[in-house]
Amino acid sequence: MVRRVLTLPSGRVAVGVLLAVGLLALVGPLLAPQDPLATTTDALARPSVQHWLGTDSLGRDVLSRLLDGSRVSVVGSLEVVVIALVVGVVPGILSVQLGRVFEWASLRIVDTLIALPFLLFAVAVTALLGNGITQAMVVTGVLVSPLFFRVSRAATLAVARSAYVEAAVISGASVTWVARRHLWSKVLPPIAVAFAQTLGVGFVIVSSLTFLGIGVQPPAPTWGGLLATSLGFLDQQPWAPIAPAALIVATVWASNLLADAIRDVTGEAGRDLLDRRTRRSATAPSLSRTGGTP
Amino acid sequence: MTTTLTRPATTSAGSPAPDQPAPTHALSVRDLHVGDPSTGHDIVRGVSFDLPRGGVVGVVGESGSGKTLTCRAVLGILPEPFAVTGGSVEVVGRDTATLTPREWTGLRGSTIAAVFQDPASYLNPSIPVGRQVAEVLRVKLGLRRRAARERSLELLAAVQLRDPARVWAQYPFELSGGMLQRVLIAAAVAVEPQVLIADEATTALDVTVQAEILDLLAELRASTGLALVVVSHDLAVVAQLCTEVLVMRDGEVVEQGPVSRVLHDPQHDYTRLLVREHEQYGLERFLGTDGGELR
Amino acid sequence: MTTSETAYHRLSSVPSPPVLSVEDVRVTLGRGLHRARILDGVSLTVERGETVGLIGETGSGKTTLARTILGLTPVSGGRVLVDGEDVTRLGRRKRRALRRRGVVQYVFQDPLKSLDPDLTIGESLTEPLLLQGVPGDEARERALRFLGRVHLDEQLLDRLPGRLSGGQRQRVAVARALVTEPDVVILDEPVSALDAANRVQVLSILQELKAAGIALLFVSHDLGSVAGVADRIAVLHRGEVVEVGTTRDVVTNPSHPYTQLLLRSAPTLRSASADRAERAALRARLTA
Repeated sequence: MVRRVLTLPSGRVAVGVLLAVGLLALVGPLLAPQDPLATTTDALARPSVQHWLGTDSLGRDVLSRLLDGSRVSVVGSLEVVVIALVVGVVPGILSVQLGRVFEWASLRIVDTLIALPFLLFAVAVTALLGNGITQAMVVTGVLVSPLFFRVSRAATLAVARSAYVEAAVISGASVTWVARRHLWSKVLPPIAVAFAQTLGVGFVIVSSLTFLGIGVQPPAPTWGGLLATSLGFLDQQPWAPIAPAALIVATVWASNLLADAIRDVTGEAGRDLLDRRTRRSATAPSLSRTGGTP
Repeated sequence: MTTTLTRPATTSAGSPAPDQPAPTHALSVRDLHVGDPSTGHDIVRGVSFDLPRGGVVGVVGESGSGKTLTCRAVLGILPEPFAVTGGSVEVVGRDTATLTPREWTGLRGSTIAAVFQDPASYLNPSIPVGRQVAEVLRVKLGLRRRAARERSLELLAAVQLRDPARVWAQYPFELSGGMLQRVLIAAAVAVEPQVLIADEATTALDVTVQAEILDLLAELRASTGLALVVVSHDLAVVAQLCTEVLVMRDGEVVEQGPVSRVLHDPQHDYTRLLVREHEQYGLERFLGTDGGELR
Repeated sequence: MTTSETAYHRLSSVPSPPVLSVEDVRVTLGRGLHRARILDGVSLTVERGETVGLIGETGSGKTTLARTILGLTPVSGGRVLVDGEDVTRLGRRKRRALRRRGVVQYVFQDPLKSLDPDLTIGESLTEPLLLQGVPGDEARERALRFLGRVHLDEQLLDRLPGRLSGGQRQRVAVARALVTEPDVVILDEPVSALDAANRVQVLSILQELKAAGIALLFVSHDLGSVAGVADRIAVLHRGEVVEVGTTRDVVTNPSHPYTQLLLRSAPTLRSASADRAERAALRARLTA
């Protein structure tokens, strides 16, 4: 699948951008030319040789803050996606396999999660558990998990009811055999698409939360936080939001591009599943609830 | 009952210039070619037959043989990008090549009608079936609501649906495949057309239901003088009703003639295969093909 | 014909249980208002090497019966004996072990759906063998052999089912049922979706299987397609077997009105449609 994604130009661009962002998260804090927390008297400076992107209202170097903040932003959104993946996919597959009671219960819980107002809930939970990046990301991950639940459930349902699974069962296949041989290849592509999509969504969420000051304590820099503070000084520094906003937009765009590329190269089964069920029923509501804040 | 054969028993594509059809023909197809004009590739090559008023012609062929495209050309509903690229189709003496789209619409339903393989897909799932038949009457004949309802009830009775009043108010999903096909036949014959094309109309049905529908078509023909074109992949289905048969393969008519001759003295290899299939594996093994009595 | 006769001989000399025996099976599906009795005391045997045609139309319960034999649908009464062993009340583990032996195999109605679109023909064919624990190389070799038995080219082994024609797919489905060298194969409408040429080919393959001593349960709605292959015919009507007999007896001298109607309805090359009145009378009798 990976190789086939890379045969598409859009796939190559998406992977390239995401790799660059990942690299930035990895080495960014080391590259920061100055201490991102060090304040100077040179507040709200224009871009110069010393401060490539200028300084903020407390005289901190914006480039250093941007590079330093990349790790929190990227790791945060990855955390969201991984938590959503685990919390969503496992019960999603099991809801088909474990019988009616589990199925009923899991579906009701998922409905509840979808019904919760997203940011409000995140704010409430961080208020309850204390304001920390992990708390915020766990909550977000759980709230995004219905997407993975639905995608994996839909794919599993289609496979479990197929004649070829029955044919395998008639030949004495166990549940694990069916999962390995027949289910895996059908469920993986839609999950991969959901993963790429959620990566973008997660990024928007982390940015929104940090923009609101949730998950990260003030002096520590994040892309969302930088965007937020820069907006306060638009009249003095109208160019300031461009750099953090561009980074956020590029990452989200690349994730969505990757999602499209995966969908394009995966077989009929994956494409069908996504087009008919996931895209409309799962993705759209969660995107509309989370998008657009920053 | 007798079908006049205007062509020799076996035909080849691109045969000589057609005679003027006698006005007695409900449908007259002359050297019909159907293809994609942009590529110049013909899918159907040289189909000719005459269907007298009240007659029955059968078309046999597997999927991809061009039998459905032939039907659609006759009905003027060829899918994109296909068009009639040669020959002519005359419906009750009228050359269809001269028809405007509006005239085509008038002709379909009033003079020539059709039923297809999957009846459910031709009905609106959210409207009671009787109302859909009544709607045909209101649009095509301009009947008033009450008159259309009464006439549609009569039609449902005419296609031998038990309890027509009940069926009238039912939705497509409440009816079996055989019942839906009856409803569609009722709608097709509502405006008393002269020609009915049944394209694989019984293929998806159980054997006993298939026989019911074929019986119904035979009875409609006897009672109203409806001329039939019966299209099927099964030679035996065609043999039940038809007096003349065309065997199609890869867009060409490979054999054509009276049913009795084609069954007993098939000339083309493909026809022989069709006959052999029945003789080797069908009931004919026990019953013989010569109308031997059952039991 | 001759091989099934020798099979009968073998039977009469060495008494062995029928390879498949359905005894008074009842199946009720659905709950509450939707509860419906699908099979009502069905009994049926298939002897070793014998081909039995099971005729039933939509809603007769024929597919349910096949699924019950395979243990995919639970019975609410009666027994299904495979090689003398009751398979209806097996635990999960025992049932799986029985299935892996591959004594009973099934050919699905729609071969396109019964082959995993992401697996090559070879992978689908070897699956039952790999489940038995046969090593990969040997499984592939056997798959190749059975591909030859259904007259398919060995190049197909590495293709995906989407690249095959309908007739080829159906033959692959038959080959898949054969790789475990089963005693009995259940075929659900194996030729209904095929055109004449493929129909003849699949039917002739079934004849060859018969000759090789494999018992077949040939399920179809059409008496005509079964008559050429089956030794005996059972007619299922509204969840009950209304007639059982040798093919010749059932076809030439049907006793139940439903069987008579089936015969009168089956399209044959006899161009007479004089049976119409008789069909009408039989229908009236059946609905009464």
